Amino acid sequence: MKRFLYVILIIIFLTFFLKACLRRDIADDKSIKNNIAKTEVNYNFPPESKNVVIDNIEYLQSQAPVGKFGGELIESTIGEGPKTFNPFSSKDATSSSLAGLMYDSLFTTSAKDGKIIPKLAKSYETKDGKTYIVHLRKGIQWSDGKPITADDVIFTWNDIILAGLGNTSTRDAVTIDGKLPKVYKIDDFTVKFIIPKPFSPFVRIMASQIAPKHVFEPITKQGAKAFDLFYSTNTNPKDFVVSGPFKLKEYKAAQRVVFEKNPNYYIINTDNKKLPYLDKLVYLIVGDLNNEILKFEGHETDVLSLRGSTVAPYKMKEAESDYKIYNLGADNGTMFIAINLNKQQGSNGEFYVNPEKQMWFGDKNFRTAVDYAIDRKNMVQNIANGLAKPLFTAESLNSIFLNKNIKGHERNLQIAKDYLEKSGFKYEKNKKLYDKNGERVEFDLYTNAGNTEREAIGVMVKQDLEDLGMHVNFKPIEFNTLVNKMTTTFDWDMIIMGLTGSPLEPHDGKNVWHSYGSLHLFNQRTKKPNFDDRLKFEKRLDEIFDLAALQTDFANRKKLYDEYQQIIYEEKPIIYLYSPIRIVALRKKFKNIYPSQLMGITYNIEEIYEDKN
Amino acid sequence: MQIFYYILKRILQTIPLLILVSIISFFIIRLSPVDPLAELKLNPSISKETLQAEEHRLGLDKPLTVQYLLWAKSFICGDLGVTTTGEKVSVKLAERIPNTLLLTLIVILLTWSVGVPLGVLAAIKWKTPFDRILTVLTSIGMAIPSFFFAILLLIFAVKSGWFPVGGLTSYNFNEMNFIQKFFDIAHHLFLPVTVLFTISLAGLQRQMRANLLDVLDSDYVKFARAKGLSENKVIFKHALRNAVNPMITLLGFEFSGLLSGAALTEFVFQYPGLGRLILEAVMKSDINLVMASLMIGAIMLVLGNLIADILLILTDPRIRAKA
Amino acid sequence: MIKDIFNGILKDKFATVALIVLCFIYFCLLFADFIAPYSMNYTDRELSYVPPSPIFTIDENGKLSKPYTYNYVRTYDADLMQTIFKLDKSKKYYLKFFGRGEEYFYFGFIPMNRHLVTVDKDGRLYLLGGDINGRDVFSRLLFGGRISMTIGFLALFILFPIGLLYGGISGYFGGKVDMLMMRFAEAVMSIPSFYLLIILAAILPSNMTSTQRLILIVVILALIGWAGFARVVRGMVLSIKNQDFVKSAKMAGASDLRIIVKEVLPQTTSYVIVAMTLSVPGYILSESGLSFLGLGIQQPDASWGNMLKEAQEYINILYRPWLLTPGFLIFVAVLSFNLIGDTIRDILDPKSKTR
Repeated sequence: MKRFLYVILIIIFLTFFLKACLRRDIADDKSIKNNIAKTEVNYNFPPESKNVVIDNIEYLQSQAPVGKFGGELIESTIGEGPKTFNPFSSKDATSSSLAGLMYDSLFTTSAKDGKIIPKLAKSYETKDGKTYIVHLRKGIQWSDGKPITADDVIFTWNDIILAGLGNTSTRDAVTIDGKLPKVYKIDDFTVKFIIPKPFSPFVRIMASQIAPKHVFEPITKQGAKAFDLFYSTNTNPKDFVVSGPFKLKEYKAAQRVVFEKNPNYYIINTDNKKLPYLDKLVYLIVGDLNNEILKFEGHETDVLSLRGSTVAPYKMKEAESDYKIYNLGADNGTMFIAINLNKQQGSNGEFYVNPEKQMWFGDKNFRTAVDYAIDRKNMVQNIANGLAKPLFTAESLNSIFLNKNIKGHERNLQIAKDYLEKSGFKYEKNKKLYDKNGERVEFDLYTNAGNTEREAIGVMVKQDLEDLGMHVNFKPIEFNTLVNKMTTTFDWDMIIMGLTGSPLEPHDGKNVWHSYGSLHLFNQRTKKPNFDDRLKFEKRLDEIFDLAALQTDFANRKKLYDEYQQIIYEEKPIIYLYSPIRIVALRKKFKNIYPSQLMGITYNIEEIYEDKN
Repeated sequence: MQIFYYILKRILQTIPLLILVSIISFFIIRLSPVDPLAELKLNPSISKETLQAEEHRLGLDKPLTVQYLLWAKSFICGDLGVTTTGEKVSVKLAERIPNTLLLTLIVILLTWSVGVPLGVLAAIKWKTPFDRILTVLTSIGMAIPSFFFAILLLIFAVKSGWFPVGGLTSYNFNEMNFIQKFFDIAHHLFLPVTVLFTISLAGLQRQMRANLLDVLDSDYVKFARAKGLSENKVIFKHALRNAVNPMITLLGFEFSGLLSGAALTEFVFQYPGLGRLILEAVMKSDINLVMASLMIGAIMLVLGNLIADILLILTDPRIRAKA
Repeated sequence: MIKDIFNGILKDKFATVALIVLCFIYFCLLFADFIAPYSMNYTDRELSYVPPSPIFTIDENGKLSKPYTYNYVRTYDADLMQTIFKLDKSKKYYLKFFGRGEEYFYFGFIPMNRHLVTVDKDGRLYLLGGDINGRDVFSRLLFGGRISMTIGFLALFILFPIGLLYGGISGYFGGKVDMLMMRFAEAVMSIPSFYLLIILAAILPSNMTSTQRLILIVVILALIGWAGFARVVRGMVLSIKNQDFVKSAKMAGASDLRIIVKEVLPQTTSYVIVAMTLSVPGYILSESGLSFLGLGIQQPDASWGNMLKEAQEYINILYRPWLLTPGFLIFVAVLSFNLIGDTIRDILDPKSKTR
């Protein structure tokens, strides 16, 4: 009996095995293309919002179509969630953007063209670029009913920002020639800012968020420590007094942040009803991309940012689904290889980068050869699934200051080899590369481990450079350790990294490009040495960044920033790889959606409404 | 009274242990080249001055031993310090501890109420196919990497729509009445509990099986059998009581695992528990947070062992005589 | 004793199957260079995430044929935002057994270029599809397995001597020495091992080659595991040291260390064997957990753990199932080790307290 069973089992197994072996070659004629929704690239915008006066109150009137009140929108935020709800002490993007929902800034950026448009303030004027007069709205209120006046603005600037409470980066950014701006009250609804020199990034900084004086004043008197803990994440939601469209309703650590609408908001629709339309705005805190996708798939969230590699299945199902896919164009993010040009010695007298490598990395021909060896085309195709653009300049592709004359180049090993030969590098019989002193060209390439995208880029770059005969040790290491290398110990050769730039203000990148900036990746200095050790092109970059900030005319600034991009492209201390395209999926039931390359998709949260049909 | 002295002695003994744990963990964390301010440093809009102020606030500019002593001083005073992002460690821990306790207590309750009887059953049917198949089945649960199993279950949740995708409560939790709240939490807990249950069941079942086999082989069980007592009576009246004793010690160890929990499972399920918090803190060397949770873990271990010992003294007259 | 174990395993059907499976896996790993059609880092960038190559044995006319395959060609559909792979049916590539392929060094020194299966020139045989960089998953599985399946044993060789000696000394001398040594072991044990592992993995200096890194990860795994093991050994030594043969060795004037190593520790052999087989699967799982967090074996080297990390993305699980094979292999290997471990324990030590 038992033996019989075994025989049967073996026969079944063998049949399956044979079945698997015998495979018929049949012509397949599957065509998957049916019912594909076209994804647009250019979007229309409603007319700009207007300032209107009703019953002596100066409202801002949104010109977008009138929608229905009620409903809720659920978004997700990746990471550990907000660290604080105090907009003046937040130091990370999540905290800032959530605090941004509760505290409106004086001015904002037009999603259409990046111009400065009014928000909490009505307008501003300047004659010489040194004196700015800001007019506030009359009659608008904080969420607790108290009026928003010039006193709040003066308090925010003098007692918080300029006093150095919270995150001091704003103060440091407006320190011009060591002098701080001065802020005066002209009347209850007019404020005057004076800066020592014309400084073009100032307007966007001046647009800063405003704190309610009657709530913040007691805290600022208690000093910096108390201020840092004020409006922390475990504050009772009832204690928030806000000016933005939403107000905190509930915060559950590592789970979600729930906002409810601010009934006293100053933006109205064309029916003169107070916005926002949505009753509730929910942010689910998710740990990683994978979870964010799963939450969207499980209908727990309404918006999903997609990367190139994850778009395809969503695009396939779009036509039958309840979401729409938007292509927002090139992203603020850039992906690059930084090369360590550091020639300094540490406190123990040893070089951070050993002298042979200093010679290679300091050689422009070597860097150019590296650039020519990189296969950006396949990087875009394989890693971003075709949804990215090769990048050759330091500004992100959606920047209004982008230098469009930099065309870039294809991969070309021959050109790369020519550059290497120019500098005396030679090949031995085994196709390995040696420098002019007979030293084998070998160095380390780092990136942060656990990031599939960057690891895959690393593998490609390694292979690309090995085609040139270099020996590359590719080493993904843990993120915080990598940053320690980059900013403190400097013992690295090349690093694959990404940074997020600002499409509107190249001056924000000053910390990267200025020789003594805190993030001057490719030649970080710990302190100012007693002699000028800057490279020639570094000097020029310093000049450009100092000069351009003082120009108030766009065309003049553009010229300078074009030059800086050209310098980076020619000198290649940082080799740019690609810039991903931002794709977003959003449920169709939400209306008044005006995607913008500059601002994203839910920036006009007060205008968005839910239409269940 | 004797028990009281014993407890006091045990508590005093744990103080050097705690000091040792704190020194070991403090120094290995600080020796690692992990930069707690990495994210800030990579943010181009953060100025140099802000970074220096942060370093000063966290005491990163002081020598290592000074850092340790400062930490130890404030720990003894009951101040757990602040995290690298400026939040209070005590607040963060308080947010997470109840959630982790909830998850792990359910898992322990389940594994014990299933694992112990299964172990007993396997021991009774020792060397029969039943015993073998049971072991094989529980082994399967042990063989899947926990994070991978969790991911597969999450995808199942998405595709079937039967379970929520991670988390602990729905976003509209606050508007629910008590019964709805209860079911909402149960609904969310189902999948993480399933993962942890399948993974830890095998160990417990084997342990119980081995213990009972051990006891069944002892002289007094043989004697009881020789007296002509029925097999059921032998097992359930005599053997089982003694076989449970080593399990109490085990419970003491599990008590310490309660808080550190199952970091990877919590991570995949986005469960707002302590394990995930510590994991994230360890990855960025958030020293106050890591130290606080490790110390709590160590205290729990000591407490767990203590409770187990006391339980043993109470249940087992032989040990009582020794103590 | 080895004979007993072997016979015992053969008597148990599950254990026999497990043993055969493990032997098969290790055999394949040993001859990975030969069995794999490509080397670990062989890349065809046009084949990023390519599906497995189909192998046909009946041609388009319905006739039996030598096994052959087609190449995939990649196109990109901008409207669909999707890369599409289609079989290029214009040219057949026949499979060749024991044909010439990439050169490799067998056991590191014997130059060879024969592979078990190859295809005609310009053909690509990706039996289990490609990964993001266009490398052959099947070949990488074989090379990655070498790391995953040996990491546990390497750790054991470090852990067991330390644990045995530590536990032996502590138990043998007793008293204050015992007390101090056990407190230290308890301190190590009370730091949750997983966090300790993460902290230690971050300390690893970054200027290491991947082999050095592998060895250090193993050392770390061992450093964490020894304490629990030492405790059990100590408990056993406590009862062994009062037995007559130990006493007589003492009378004969043997040194303490000699007694511990020669007389006491051999008595714990069966426990050690059982603990060893049962802890190997734990290390395989630890490696995959570390890789999940990006702290394990790093690209471009392969291990089952870091291959599984790539597979665990939602899109990959649903649409690229061939990437899941490392997960399946981890499961099979761990299960087999557990089954064999269970059987060995029942043979050597039916009443053991090992888990």
